[in-house]
Amino acid sequence: MDGEELELFERSLRHATASATGAELDAALVELGWHDALEVDRRASVALLFGLQGEAGSTSAALDHLVATATGLAAAASTGVVLPAIDRWDPPGVVHGRTLQVAGLVSSAGAECPEVVVAATAGDALVAATVPTESLGLRPVHGVDPWLGLHQIPAREVALPAEPTPVEGSWTDAVAAARLALAQQLVGTSRTMLRLAREHALDRVQFGQPIAGFQAVRHRLAETLVAIETAEAMIDAAWLDGDPGTAAMAKAVAGREARVAAKHCQQVLAGIGFTTEHDLHRFVRRALVLNGLFGSAKSITSAFGAELVESRQLPPLLPL
Amino acid sequence: MDIDEYRAAFDAWLDDNREQLAPAYEGKGTLDEQMAQIAKVKRLAFDADFGRWGWPERVGGLGGSTLFRAYLQEAVTARDLVEPGLFSMQEVLAPTMIDFAAPELAATMVARLLRGDETWCQGFSEPGTGSNLGSLSCRSVRDGDTWRVTGQKVWTSLAQYAQRCVLLTRSGTPESAHRGITALFLDMDSPGITVRPIETMHGSLEFSEVFFDDVVVPAERMLGAEGQGWSVAMDLLPYERSTALWQRAAFLHSRLQRLLEVAPPGSLDPLKLGEVTQTLYAFRARSRGTQHRMASGAPLGSETSIDKVLLATAEQAVFDLVADTLPAEVTVGDDVESHLWRTEYLYSRAASIYGGSSEIQRNIIARRLLDLGSDR
Ligand SMILES: Cc1cc2nc3c(=O)[nH]c(=O)nc-3n(C[C@H](O)[C@H](O)[C@H](O)COP(=O)(O)OP(=O)(O)OC[C@H]3O[C@@H](n4cnc5c(N)ncnc54)[C@H](O)[C@@H]3O)c2cc1C
Repeated sequence: MDGEELELFERSLRHATASATGAELDAALVELGWHDALEVDRRASVALLFGLQGEAGSTSAALDHLVATATGLAAAASTGVVLPAIDRWDPPGVVHGRTLQVAGLVSSAGAECPEVVVAATAGDALVAATVPTESLGLRPVHGVDPWLGLHQIPAREVALPAEPTPVEGSWTDAVAAARLALAQQLVGTSRTMLRLAREHALDRVQFGQPIAGFQAVRHRLAETLVAIETAEAMIDAAWLDGDPGTAAMAKAVAGREARVAAKHCQQVLAGIGFTTEHDLHRFVRRALVLNGLFGSAKSITSAFGAELVESRQLPPLLPL
Repeated sequence: MDIDEYRAAFDAWLDDNREQLAPAYEGKGTLDEQMAQIAKVKRLAFDADFGRWGWPERVGGLGGSTLFRAYLQEAVTARDLVEPGLFSMQEVLAPTMIDFAAPELAATMVARLLRGDETWCQGFSEPGTGSNLGSLSCRSVRDGDTWRVTGQKVWTSLAQYAQRCVLLTRSGTPESAHRGITALFLDMDSPGITVRPIETMHGSLEFSEVFFDDVVVPAERMLGAEGQGWSVAMDLLPYERSTALWQRAAFLHSRLQRLLEVAPPGSLDPLKLGEVTQTLYAFRARSRGTQHRMASGAPLGSETSIDKVLLATAEQAVFDLVADTLPAEVTVGDDVESHLWRTEYLYSRAASIYGGSSEIQRNIIARRLLDLGSDR
């Protein structure tokens, strides 16, 4: 997509993500052709939508779509996708004969579908197991961020109604795609926290002046911008080199930096930011859950560090 | 020529001339040895044209993308041919010289710097003026066709080697702040200049005190107009804070790789190692973006303060990990490699100080990028 087209697309997406969430946003995305745009310009489509979802605090089935298309799981709109449990990134299912062991999460859109598909390992192979949604015993997640509309699958065994089908795509690619999208959503979430804290700093008067005049406040906001730009740069690198390892770094950095942003912005907003009368708490909550999806900063980073210790070989630097 | 062609050609040249390019010393070398090595590498690269690409033709370059310069810096660093911080001084000083010096002056002088025939230094800081550059007091008085300079600079890197200095002087009244500053390009062998090297914490005579006693500077050596010195500084600092730091990711990458190779079993904390590596790669990614912006002709400004904060964070994170992983080498080791780790650890402490401290960068980010208004 080029300049003008991209701008128009961004404007429509901004409007959609700001005015709708969940099923309504999904309908808007179909209408404005996000799924087609994804085929034409993957990077722009993912970066724009997820960044804006993060900024607006809205949610859609786009993450399910990315996971489904990367693995080649059933793409029918009426089929939901099972996502790994918090802080996990292995396939959510294991198939033994005609039984499926499954644990994980389902989005609000997925929970509305009559059937869901589970990426599962069967021996060394990756398969797609489709099961009736009602067989999973879904429970709506209240948790720290009930607005995200996630549903939990309590770990269980399900009898498979049909033979699972072999999967063309790779789970590694699905994880990388999800991580890049989530990293961008974390950055968007952080940007809104910074916007809210900045506005407050300029408006709130103490000791006869806006608190934005106090260096301790200014430096917290500056550090927040550094955190955001750090994550943004890492995401950029992951799109440039297309390596799942770099996507993992981007997700880890975005998750860690969103926590930094939350810490600083919460402190600047102080009392009002600690209430549900102010919007900040929604973004703080969202950042916590997004950090956990497809691996938290801590888990991804520990696993990466352990690989480095083992191989004693750093990945190559991003070329100029 | 595009960047891939340049990269391939330069890599091949570095391979072919490996022996000639190699330093004559083991480990870090003395400062004299490092400076001689830098001059040699610059001369060879310039004479083979690689050191000329990316610089404008009017100053002796061959034109083309500034990415070529970035790749040169990175490649000689990754191969351990030069001390990267000292080598990259030309990326701090030459761009501003090209923007502000009279065309004939830039045309004669810049090529000498690029070819390693000369070393230049940057006379900004003074005993009473570090972060608050606008308060500098080294005095310059206009006297016909000349300026007469009296005062002192401090922490002037490489002053004892330098043939020239980019000097900020107070030409206005003491109260004139940033409006009364004039930038001069002066010869370090001018009568009245005394240079006294100072030993740094990492054991090098890398910077000096410089005293000026009624030093005469021809008026055509002004950079920009009289009283425009602040614009010169504002033009120069973004390079010092970003593009001149590009090769440090390559340097830190090679040191972190070395740490992985020599770390005793069980000494590396995986979580810490993973975090440090991610921080380094994020700095690299940020820095790459800045290089590409410069190559596209965009002016560099306050956003480079983010690059500088990231460099300081990454460099100190890498060497904090070194100190945690190799405690004996860093503290009591006296072999060549231990000495190198210790020196580099100590030098990393300066990363949040030179080129504007991290606090100053945050002030700039708050004021210019977040538009938080004045802090007074
Ligand atoms: C290795 C090295 C090489 C150098 N090379 C050169 C060179 O070639 N040429 C040159 O001109 N200079 C050079 N310098 C000097 C360098 O630019 C200064 O050290 C730097 O600008 C800081 O000034 P200062 O040391 O006087 O610290 P000060 O300005 O005195 O600051 C002291 C402390 O106070 C903090 N502080 C100051 N003002 C504020 C504020 N407004 N808000 C919050 N905190 C504040 C600082 O962040 C710092 O932590 C070099 C320094 C080093 C370490």
